[in-house]
Amino acid sequence: MNGRRFDMLAAGMLVVLLLAALHMISAAVQRSEDLGQWFMPLLLFSVVGLVLLFALVGWNLWQLLRDYRRRVAGSRLSARLSVMFLVLALLPVSVVYFYSIRFLSSGIDSWFDLQVDSAMEDALTLSKLSLDLHKRERLKLTENLLAAIEDTSQTAIALSIGEMRATAGASEMALFSVQGKLLAMSHDNPEVMLPMPPDSGMVQQVVGGADYVGVASGPDGRLVVRCLVLDRQERGIVLQALYPVPESLSDLSKNVQDAYETYRTRAYMRSQIKFTFALSLSLVLALGLFAAAWAAVFTARRLVQPISDIAEGTRAVAEGDYDKQLPMPRSEDEIGFLVSSFNAMTRRIARARNALEDSRRELLNQHNYLETVLAGLSTGVMALDGNGNIRTANPAADQIIGMPVGELEGQPLAILGERNAALLPFVERVDEGLRSAAHVGRAEITLYRGSGRQVLLCRHSALDDDDGDGVGGHVLVFDDVTELVKAQRDAAWGEVARRLAHEIKNPLTPIQLSAERLRHKYLGKLPVEDGKVLDRATHTIVQQVEAMKAMVNDFSDYAKPTRLQLEPVQIDALLNEVLALYEGGTQMLALQLDAPDLTIEADPVRLRQVMHNLIKNALEASGEHGCVVVSSRVGEEEDSGFVEIVVSDNGPGFDPELIGQAFEPYVTNKTKGTGLGLAIVKRIVAEHGGLVHAENADQGGGRVVLRLPALARARAGIAAAAAGRAHGGGGR
Amino acid sequence: MNGFLRKLMIVMLLAMPLGVAADGVTFDRIALTLSDEDRILLDADIAFDLNDTVAEALENGVPLTFETHVQMRRVKAWVWESDVVEHRLRTVLQYRPLSGLYELRNLQGDERLSFATRDAALRTLGRIVGMPVVARAELDLDAEYLVRINVRLDIEALPLPMRPVAYIRRDWKIASDPWEWRLRP
Repeated sequence: MNGRRFDMLAAGMLVVLLLAALHMISAAVQRSEDLGQWFMPLLLFSVVGLVLLFALVGWNLWQLLRDYRRRVAGSRLSARLSVMFLVLALLPVSVVYFYSIRFLSSGIDSWFDLQVDSAMEDALTLSKLSLDLHKRERLKLTENLLAAIEDTSQTAIALSIGEMRATAGASEMALFSVQGKLLAMSHDNPEVMLPMPPDSGMVQQVVGGADYVGVASGPDGRLVVRCLVLDRQERGIVLQALYPVPESLSDLSKNVQDAYETYRTRAYMRSQIKFTFALSLSLVLALGLFAAAWAAVFTARRLVQPISDIAEGTRAVAEGDYDKQLPMPRSEDEIGFLVSSFNAMTRRIARARNALEDSRRELLNQHNYLETVLAGLSTGVMALDGNGNIRTANPAADQIIGMPVGELEGQPLAILGERNAALLPFVERVDEGLRSAAHVGRAEITLYRGSGRQVLLCRHSALDDDDGDGVGGHVLVFDDVTELVKAQRDAAWGEVARRLAHEIKNPLTPIQLSAERLRHKYLGKLPVEDGKVLDRATHTIVQQVEAMKAMVNDFSDYAKPTRLQLEPVQIDALLNEVLALYEGGTQMLALQLDAPDLTIEADPVRLRQVMHNLIKNALEASGEHGCVVVSSRVGEEEDSGFVEIVVSDNGPGFDPELIGQAFEPYVTNKTKGTGLGLAIVKRIVAEHGGLVHAENADQGGGRVVLRLPALARARAGIAAAAAGRAHGGGGR
Repeated sequence: MNGFLRKLMIVMLLAMPLGVAADGVTFDRIALTLSDEDRILLDADIAFDLNDTVAEALENGVPLTFETHVQMRRVKAWVWESDVVEHRLRTVLQYRPLSGLYELRNLQGDERLSFATRDAALRTLGRIVGMPVVARAELDLDAEYLVRINVRLDIEALPLPMRPVAYIRRDWKIASDPWEWRLRP
């Protein structure tokens, strides 16, 4: 059972019980002899019931007021309807009550007008007069009876009292002493042993000399005349005689007395009677009012409930709750149709919402999938909108560009150039591609970064806009192919070197031998002048051939695969040993060794060659009075130890444009040399599983940083396999 | 109970602080005595003092019903245990305009007495002489009993229109404080 139905049942039962109670109060007022004892309990019950009903009404009104203040849906309409119903009920009931009270008051007053008062008094007086005659006769008779008694003794009188009573027709006759002591009595009923006692006032009156006569009610309710007479012969006795009043006179007098008493009592109770009737009427009014108020609120709420539900439902739908279904009203009227239509509408909206939600979820999944794929790509992907503003970029793009491009969402692409001038070629080239009419484009862009040259292979695709007739955005895909290009170049140089070694070295020895034979054979035979020419020419040939041989040997060293003779090498000792060879020169050579106990597995011959090449390069770069510093230190990275050797000079440093290619063959800014020194260094370091790169120091001068693994894993095979990778690491 | 005990009981009764009055009813004297038939009897003199409101109602013919309630129960009785004795003496006092007398009507025996004055009627109303309460044989001689007497004007016996007002107005609360005494028979 829901709360509202319980309310209705409770209020209904209360109203019915109160109606029954008020009806019984009305009956009790009319028949007070039978039902008078129930009057007060019923009154109490009615008051308590009305208080309960009032509380129920108050509770309902308070709820209505609370809803009204909270602007609950439908509360305003409920309040208006309730007030309207209440006023409609209150007006007629108040009018009826007002006039009922007036009619009641004037009606009760009309019972007691002066004429009726007078008539009642007259009737009582008449009864008294008629009884007075009877009383006087009986008093006279009693006095005569007592006077007729001649005996002086009380005993004799007592003996004759029965006879006297019978003679006089009295129902009771008793003889008292003046002190009030009973001397004798006689009663027409022999079973009655005691007389009706006179009260002390009567006795005192008689003893005082005035006989008493009065009317009293007998034991059976009939009127009797009581006569009390003092003995005149001073015998000290008082005679009391009770004479029954004739039945007709008694009945009539009694009726008059009863009517008079009733009238007088009612007259006395006039205000109480009015109060009682007004109270009963007020209770009925209160019941009517409370019941009407409760019914007004209940009916208004019941009428408004479906409308409130619709308003509530509409609000819920407005707030996005599309699953809202309203309870169907029982009646199949227009409101029922409205509720049914509302429910159908919300069902359709909910279905559409669910489909939309599924699509969105699917889209989100696809988006996440795409993002995961993009995040896993080593290729940089960047999306631009139609205006060339950055929309998104994957982590690989951030890494290749060298700044968090993803965080520059909404910014124009040119911001990359503004933040890093090295990116300007990229920005310009891409911008050019975007402006072109081609939907798809491809370009190789070379950037000169602080870490060296960077080659990007860039492709772009234009995206159609929503209408399909314009460009809605661009997708930029780019790869860092620097390492690939370098690897290709290294391979090409290796091939060149190998061929040079093979094709050029072979004819050099016959050339040299031929030149020497020419000199040996003809120098002595030719005239002096010619001999000088021959000597100079053959000397030049031999010298140049020696130079070419040295060059070809360098190429051969660079090109031919080497077999490392690995053995434990204490790196600081090796550096000391190498640098000792350069002591005594004009330049300053400093050692900052910080790896005294570190031993690596390396080929000491090749490692010495590396150090010689680097120190020579540094000395040449720093000039005649330059300063070269060789330092070592132990480091650890990703759980593996390494030794880092840095050779730095105070020369002009590397050409920024060439710094990325410093370890490539024939890349040099020196006027002499084969240009293979650093290339060989890189190759040997790579064979040892190490890395090498060149950089310019902040305070000026060039630096070559060499990093060799401390653990014995620089096997020749491994080094050869890792050569390609090591090249890339060393060049940057 | 021997004569000594009887005398002792009366002496104790007289020694009780009487004159207990709530509104208009005073116990002047109360005595419980043992009759020759071994019955406990009640004697009492109760003074009634009617206030003007009640006296006016009486003069205007409103019958006043007085109830004397005599109760006797074991001191250690359980709540649900009924009283050993319960007497209700109901007497109606009414003014008779025809005779000009005040009439007392005993509702138990339909006995009627008439009095010329209100005071005489009230004196008789308040006099209880030798009212048998209980036979001693009916009591447990080892137990202690509580006797409670109170007197009141019965509002429920008033004419119906007067009852609501009588319940509300203090003038109509004519009642004694209960008089209690512990008795070991």
